[in-house]
Amino acid sequence: MADRLTMPQTAMPAASVRAPSVDIYAPQWRNFMFVAPFLFFFTTLLVVPLLWGMWLSFHKADTFSSGNFVGFGNYIRLFHDKVFLQSVWNTFYFVLLTVPALALIGLFLALCLNRRTRTAAVLRTLFFSSSVLSVTIVTLIWRIVFIPNVGLLSTIYGWFGATAPAFISDPSLAMIGIAIATVWWCIGLPMMLFLSALQQIPQDIYEAAALDNASRWQTLRSITLPSIKRTFILVVIVQIVLQFQLFGQAWLMTRGGPNNLTKPIVLYIYDTAFRRWDLGMGAAASEVLFILILIAAMAQYLVTRNNADRT
Amino acid sequence: MKMKKVLFAAVSAGVMMLAGPSLAATELTVQRFFGACDADFGKNTDVGKAVGECGIITSLINKFNADNPDVHVSVATVEWPGYDQLTAQFASGDAPDIVTIHESALSDYQSKGLLMPLDDLLKSVGVTSDAFTDAARNGATKDGKIYGLPIDSWTMLYHINMDLFKQAGLVNADGTPILPKSPEELLAQAEQFKQKTGKPYFVQNLANETALFTRNLYTYLFQQDSDFFADPKHVKLNTPEAKKVVEMYKAIFDKGYTTKDLDYGGAINAFLAGEGGVQLNGTWVVGDNNAQSETKGTALNKGGYAVYPYPQLFAGAHAQYADGHTWAVSQKDRTPEQTAAIGKFLKFFADNDFDWSRTGHLPAYKAIITSDAFKALPHRNTIAAVADLGRPLPSAVQRQFAIQDIVGEEMSAAITGQKDVDAALADMESRVNELLANI
Repeated sequence: MADRLTMPQTAMPAASVRAPSVDIYAPQWRNFMFVAPFLFFFTTLLVVPLLWGMWLSFHKADTFSSGNFVGFGNYIRLFHDKVFLQSVWNTFYFVLLTVPALALIGLFLALCLNRRTRTAAVLRTLFFSSSVLSVTIVTLIWRIVFIPNVGLLSTIYGWFGATAPAFISDPSLAMIGIAIATVWWCIGLPMMLFLSALQQIPQDIYEAAALDNASRWQTLRSITLPSIKRTFILVVIVQIVLQFQLFGQAWLMTRGGPNNLTKPIVLYIYDTAFRRWDLGMGAAASEVLFILILIAAMAQYLVTRNNADRT
Repeated sequence: MKMKKVLFAAVSAGVMMLAGPSLAATELTVQRFFGACDADFGKNTDVGKAVGECGIITSLINKFNADNPDVHVSVATVEWPGYDQLTAQFASGDAPDIVTIHESALSDYQSKGLLMPLDDLLKSVGVTSDAFTDAARNGATKDGKIYGLPIDSWTMLYHINMDLFKQAGLVNADGTPILPKSPEELLAQAEQFKQKTGKPYFVQNLANETALFTRNLYTYLFQQDSDFFADPKHVKLNTPEAKKVVEMYKAIFDKGYTTKDLDYGGAINAFLAGEGGVQLNGTWVVGDNNAQSETKGTALNKGGYAVYPYPQLFAGAHAQYADGHTWAVSQKDRTPEQTAAIGKFLKFFADNDFDWSRTGHLPAYKAIITSDAFKALPHRNTIAAVADLGRPLPSAVQRQFAIQDIVGEEMSAAITGQKDVDAALADMESRVNELLANI
């Protein structure tokens, strides 16, 4: 098979004096040059820090020196630390709050805006526009909304003589406040992914359904949703991986408070490694996060592979 | 003729290149907190016109640049307190030449050999440590050497809205506010205040805050003679003394004697809008609050503004938690010109400490704190006592900002009812000790 592919297809004349043909698919070391720049940065910026992080997590290290080997000491301290366990729970809770909301609202918006009208185009741009903002701007906007006494929410509640919920300081509401800001910020990407999936569904299926007098609900359930199932899984997994890395919103809106109830794992890592200078333990917490995200990424791989097998 | 011109141009360029380095100003990088206010004071060199921490420090540095054409200071402003950034800068070998560091944070950097001892440099420009106040000298001295030029001593204060105090009947015959002398009196007066004015006694920034809680705890532990940091490597906070303090603040919270959901900026605005009687805030807002009280139509202008040290609520030492700001110099190889330029900068700040003390901070120099000019500043007669009352944590205690976060988090949890007081104190103690054991 490979031989047939490498048969010379041009230069038929003068075949007798021709040098033996070169197998263009054979490995050649100079091809390495094409990927070398990428590999260089991939290795120095990702692989080395990854291995270095693992090495650090087994050492008692601070920001200015790497000390003794402590084995699993940092990990043992980590799992005895209530604040770390709290931050793991917080991260899962945040993912639970945001990912379904992002997937469902994103799908809903995509379904509503999947039409060729000018209004839909304007609204698509509008809903996507929040995604281009930096986390600093997003949190600033939402702080202005949530801030007690003078914030937008307080002003609106004030019109009705009511007190606005304290989204920044109430223990039961603080994470929900961060989740609201995050959904508003991140909704653009899921919506766009769903839109592109919706536009790939062949129109003739819908036409056939229309001929069969299928209702809109039946069409949605039997045609639209099954057709975008893989995109739905993709959106969910991508968002899980992204939202696991919550940091900026929590740091800028609540500083992880009240009572560490909005402190996610990344903020715990930052606190431990850079504010307490306990780099070894910070590295250990990073490894735990790495494993959690790895599991989510593997889940995506497994789910999409199984899906591909079935279809 | 043309050739001559070319030659002349080439020779001139050569001379300029040679002369260049000696004419160029020595560059210094300065990093500071205290906020940014370039819109108001970015070009101001008349320090007397500036108010507030940001205005005064910006104007002082502008004046230094204007007075010293041979030195150019470029300023990077960081968010308070800026230590995360500074630590990263030190770790990457990119630290600024001169940087604001709290006395309580000096030992973190000094113990790693990252700061330059300043004794010789200061002596070379005529600044000696015997000119410092005792509090400033002790705060800036680590292992017998000066590691930062002290510019002030600061503490927390009772900032009082006298109009509301009059309404509450909490004013003496001589017009001074009636302040409590025990936790019971504090609660009784707060109740009276709430009854008469319908407003909370305290304006506190309790939303996602740690520093305020911690400073309050330290102050009232000092006042009970609790030696909680007898061993700088091991804290004792799960004590009856600490419980008393936490329960007092919890009662204040539970009974509605304080604002609850405000952050730092919100609390300042609420106090200035007359939404409570006493704001717990630092020396740094005295200048701004006083300026407000002199502006017609403001809540503080109605009945006046007063400011006092924390009241003595317990029978122990007359003390309250204090700290100070310093200019520290990073340890690196420098030319004699650069070192001399740093000396000039430090000397300039030592010479102009009076202007800095207009912020409300107490001066770091004996000559200024005893001067008539300082005493003539508003409210200094009531707050100058802090120079004697102020007490820092022992200087050997490291990671004081990280400790502050832990103590503040646990206190906040206990006061707002998210955690039982005993559990919070136990966690506070074990978390701080875990941190200190792993330095």
